[in-house]
Amino acid sequence: MLLFLISVGLTTVFGVMGVLNFAHGSFFMLGAYMCMQIMHIIPSFWIGLIVGPLLVALLGIIIERFLLRKVYGREVAFQLLLTFAILLVLDDGVRLIWGPAYHVVEAPALLAGVFPLFDKSYPVYRLFLVIAGPTIGLDLWSFFRFSKWGKIIRSASSDGEMAQGIGIRVPLLFTLVFALGTWLAAVGGALAAPHQSLAPSMGERIIIESFIVVVSGGMGSFPGAFIGALVLGLFESFGTVFLGRVQMAIPYILLAVVLLIRPYGLFGKEV
Amino acid sequence: MKRIFISFCLVLFMVVMVSPCAVNAAQPVKIGFVYIMSGPAATYGQFAKKGAELAIDEINKSGGINGQQVEGLFEDSTGKPDVGLRVMRKLVFQEKVKVLVGLDSSGVAKTVVPSIPQLKVPLIITHAATPDVTGSVCNRNVFRIALNLPQNVKTASLIAKESGAKKWNTIGPDYSFGHQSWEYFQQYLKAEMPDATFVSDDQAVFPPSKTTDFNPYINKLMQSNPDGILVSLWGGNLIDFIRQGKELGLFNGQYKILCTLGAATEVLSALGDKMPEGIWVGTRYWFLANPSERNKKFVDAYWNRYKEYPSYNAHGAYAAVYAYKAAVEKGKSTDTDKVINALEGLTVEVPAGVITIRPEDHQAITDAHWGVTAADPNYSIRILKPMKILKGADITPPVTETGCSMQ
Repeated sequence: MLLFLISVGLTTVFGVMGVLNFAHGSFFMLGAYMCMQIMHIIPSFWIGLIVGPLLVALLGIIIERFLLRKVYGREVAFQLLLTFAILLVLDDGVRLIWGPAYHVVEAPALLAGVFPLFDKSYPVYRLFLVIAGPTIGLDLWSFFRFSKWGKIIRSASSDGEMAQGIGIRVPLLFTLVFALGTWLAAVGGALAAPHQSLAPSMGERIIIESFIVVVSGGMGSFPGAFIGALVLGLFESFGTVFLGRVQMAIPYILLAVVLLIRPYGLFGKEV
Repeated sequence: MKRIFISFCLVLFMVVMVSPCAVNAAQPVKIGFVYIMSGPAATYGQFAKKGAELAIDEINKSGGINGQQVEGLFEDSTGKPDVGLRVMRKLVFQEKVKVLVGLDSSGVAKTVVPSIPQLKVPLIITHAATPDVTGSVCNRNVFRIALNLPQNVKTASLIAKESGAKKWNTIGPDYSFGHQSWEYFQQYLKAEMPDATFVSDDQAVFPPSKTTDFNPYINKLMQSNPDGILVSLWGGNLIDFIRQGKELGLFNGQYKILCTLGAATEVLSALGDKMPEGIWVGTRYWFLANPSERNKKFVDAYWNRYKEYPSYNAHGAYAAVYAYKAAVEKGKSTDTDKVINALEGLTVEVPAGVITIRPEDHQAITDAHWGVTAADPNYSIRILKPMKILKGADITPPVTETGCSMQ
């Protein structure tokens, strides 16, 4: 479900702004580290979860305003290079500040422990993730679908010039959307923090899988990201149990099959 | 006339360029260190650098090696074989280092070792544990002073025998380290305890290194219903596995658990008091294991300088510098051939204990440190209580088993 949050951020930024953001995984990592840092000052996971991603979103605003904005009009290659550079800077920045060692974040007492499910026990924190992911996703989807702001964003993404013509401040809108995307990645990171160990490489690991999810689900599609993340997660879990080592190849096979059958992804629209 | 003058200048220039090699006494002895300094495993390179710098500063303060000061040069292998070899060439040909020290990744080690004789310097391996570098691809220039995989797994099998558990499964990283650990473990335990049984190959659990969610793997482990589990995961994988396994009740006493690299300080300090008590963990060096003066001096000096307990990788680099010093003093030269001759059969005291480098395969006979995790109010991390220190001679497989034939 974490994969879903990250993929949604990635797909939003791409769908609205047309930017493929390589640094998205680094925002995920930064979210986890920020959460940890805040928990060192105020030892509450909830405050870390709320404040941490907001700080990362603030950084996202700065990056969009001063770096990304300059390459919108240019070729896609410029965007890729720039976001890749941001990835490298952020990763090494984290290494500089927090060091390369592993860190651990504690889950709040409320969510620690396990509950019995059939004859197995299941960690409470994972249930929390299963609920939190779709909740945030559904909120976002209805925001884009039904609210006035959502409509404005969608109109700006389908025809920026026209939207500008009728008085919408598109650049400001893009900044906000990018901030939303980084916020989503950072929330994913903060939520992942109690679940996995923190290291500067955690962003690189997740960005590949989230790209697979976004591409196979359809670039820019919300339900696509949801179904893609779900399918990939299920394949990985069951693959581990039933298929053994073949499981490693599954995400890539999945991607290839989807692209062969539906070149624009499961929920993608033809451009 | 002009031409003669130019030729004269050229000759003069060449003499000036070459002469530094001739007057060696005033030059420092350069040691080239190659570790992983970036990427996911960068923490190992950091530890090694700390250990190496401590050793170099200590040696320089007390008069250097044979009167020459020591200078350490650090390069990043990035964990990739081609990069590892490239930076080694750079250190030897450009920086003129007299000896190479390092290597974290077994993959890097196995690939670069056959090329070391061409570099005409000795290489002292301090971390990479693959049996091959002192086995199938061993050669005259390559030495290892750290505990290798067979030695560590042999220790695990002795502890497994005492634990009473009969049916064994494993969880390890899905590359040669994990698979070899399991193969050697089965072989050694079978010899020690003929009635031991092992799960079938498709039940053994090998998650890829990029795994962060170990729940499906832990379920698979529990479904196979073993009495004992050999864990050869390390670093971040091991931390994630232990935290998630703890939630699922893997450490509640039902299974005997042996973590071959569980006593690494980076794992223990990240987990702190979340590390379960009562599981067997091993490491290549444990800072509380050896009661000798030498070890106490090292641990105190390391603590005073870095305010942390020395990890095994810090110890490996530290020990390698002192082993090199001992070899140079024994052979009275930094000449490669003389150093290699001196390193063969060298007995030297390092913090881990007195080690002897076997001349036949260049593997050090060194003690293994294992123990049961326990809380102690004097330490912020879990310590090992009781500890089990196995003598190097008892856990090192005979040379005939290594497959090494030295030319």
